[in-house]
Amino acid sequence: MSARDVLLQIAQVSAVLALAPLLQGIIVQFEERIQRAQGPGIFQPYRDLWKLFHKQLVVPETASWLYWTAPVVAFTAMLTVPILIPVLTDYPLPLSDMADILGGGLILALGSFAVLLAGLDSGSAYGGIGSSRAVMLGILAEPTLILVFVGITLLAKAMLPFVVNHLLVGDIAVYWSPAHLFLVFAFFILLLVETDRLPIHSSTHIEVYMIEEARILEYSGPLLGLLRWASMMKQFILYTIFCNVLTLPWGLSRAGAAAGVLAAAGALLLKFVLVAVVVVCVETSQSRLRFYRYQEPLAASFLLAVLAIVANQLH
Amino acid sequence: MPITNLTPLASSLFSLLAIASLVLAFVMLGSRWLRDYLRAFMAESWLIGALSAAVAYYGNYPELYLVAVLTVVFRGLLLPYLLLRIIRRMQVDREIHESLQPSSSLVAGALAVIFAFVVAHQLGNRLNLAGSVAVLALTIMLSMKLIGFLMLAVRHEAISQILGLLVLENGIFLGSQILVPGMPLLIEIVILFDLLVVVASLGVLVRYLLAHVGSTSTRDLKRLVG
Repeated sequence: MSARDVLLQIAQVSAVLALAPLLQGIIVQFEERIQRAQGPGIFQPYRDLWKLFHKQLVVPETASWLYWTAPVVAFTAMLTVPILIPVLTDYPLPLSDMADILGGGLILALGSFAVLLAGLDSGSAYGGIGSSRAVMLGILAEPTLILVFVGITLLAKAMLPFVVNHLLVGDIAVYWSPAHLFLVFAFFILLLVETDRLPIHSSTHIEVYMIEEARILEYSGPLLGLLRWASMMKQFILYTIFCNVLTLPWGLSRAGAAAGVLAAAGALLLKFVLVAVVVVCVETSQSRLRFYRYQEPLAASFLLAVLAIVANQLH
Repeated sequence: MPITNLTPLASSLFSLLAIASLVLAFVMLGSRWLRDYLRAFMAESWLIGALSAAVAYYGNYPELYLVAVLTVVFRGLLLPYLLLRIIRRMQVDREIHESLQPSSSLVAGALAVIFAFVVAHQLGNRLNLAGSVAVLALTIMLSMKLIGFLMLAVRHEAISQILGLLVLENGIFLGSQILVPGMPLLIEIVILFDLLVVVASLGVLVRYLLAHVGSTSTRDLKRLVG
């Protein structure tokens, strides 16, 4: 373990920390533009966070200790996951052997579980609705996520994201094999679910159909800022896994030199812009569905994951 | 041509076509609109025609080119056209009588695929074919048959039933193209004419249903009339 690797690991985490609001800003701006509106600019999430961290804290009378710990737990979980995955470098850095893909998924789930409990904690009706809906989606999304991981494991014969990355970069035949393409599509639907962009509701916080936003309605001030930041980081992490592990495994720093890492960060943003364009187009072009059709995309995703496992037969 | 020693390009092309037709079978299983259903069937038939041509090219079976052309003409153009005419006459746009939601039937179809996977895996291990395109073809054949049965079971509209039957048949045909590519040409032609007869009798059935029952759902045919 050299000092440079430790520095690189710190750089990975801080890149996620610093660039997550930018990704959110880019997505929101694209969405506004595609709906022919002006949009607030891509730096709006930074301004929002700045504002929230300078506001006063208002706490509901019914809140217990869960209310205080949930944002911290969520934020810490999102700070932990970037250690485990290839954000900037394509080789394992110190402490990245703490957990495999499944372990990373567990830590992500822990973060959303904390927010879920916080939504139920204060006893408000909206928090309850948001939490119950999020759980309903989670129940259907988790088995698919596990199946996708199983598919990746069968493909790469390993559960480490770095191994998958190397395999896909090294062997173009594996990249275009049906098993891998099905995994990409299955994970794409999961990405839409986990980043709250299903066509069953709006992600703005003014609608009855909201899911993520309903859970944190009781929060205000710095705690709300922390939660918002955590959810942006979750989005950034999922995009990272989708791009660097599954879809676009190129453009990572191999040697770990400063210039390479900077270029990797630039390439990462470029890849994210690409994925964000696709996500926004899918989200905008699809008509809104009734809420109770939420299972359909998830059933399709489950199916694709099963097909990926079946397609793995050919080797 | 023994199916165990194909070139990698050929086996990946076969598997791609086979898997794409399985995906289209799932599109049919998950769709609510009869026309989407029909379009997916049409595309699936074209893919199977392409598969026949690919087998003909890589396995040196010149008569399979004819089978490919016949498949595209019959399954890909003629049958969908006839079914489209029936749909137009029926004035029914979507399946309204499904006893299983599309999403639940997708999951049921996925379970059927897992079952087919296990069966094909066992068979492949016994026959020392593990890891070859034959096992994949067997999986896809079995799962398309099960999906066809599922469609027959959960849908009640006459036209979806016939499409379920056709998917079942497509599955068998797809499997036979890869597993036993040297089938006599006469059998293929007989099968195609069988399908034509099936669709023609469906047309008669739909006419009868409209005239005597007033709907095209086979659920209304439960009562015995003397």
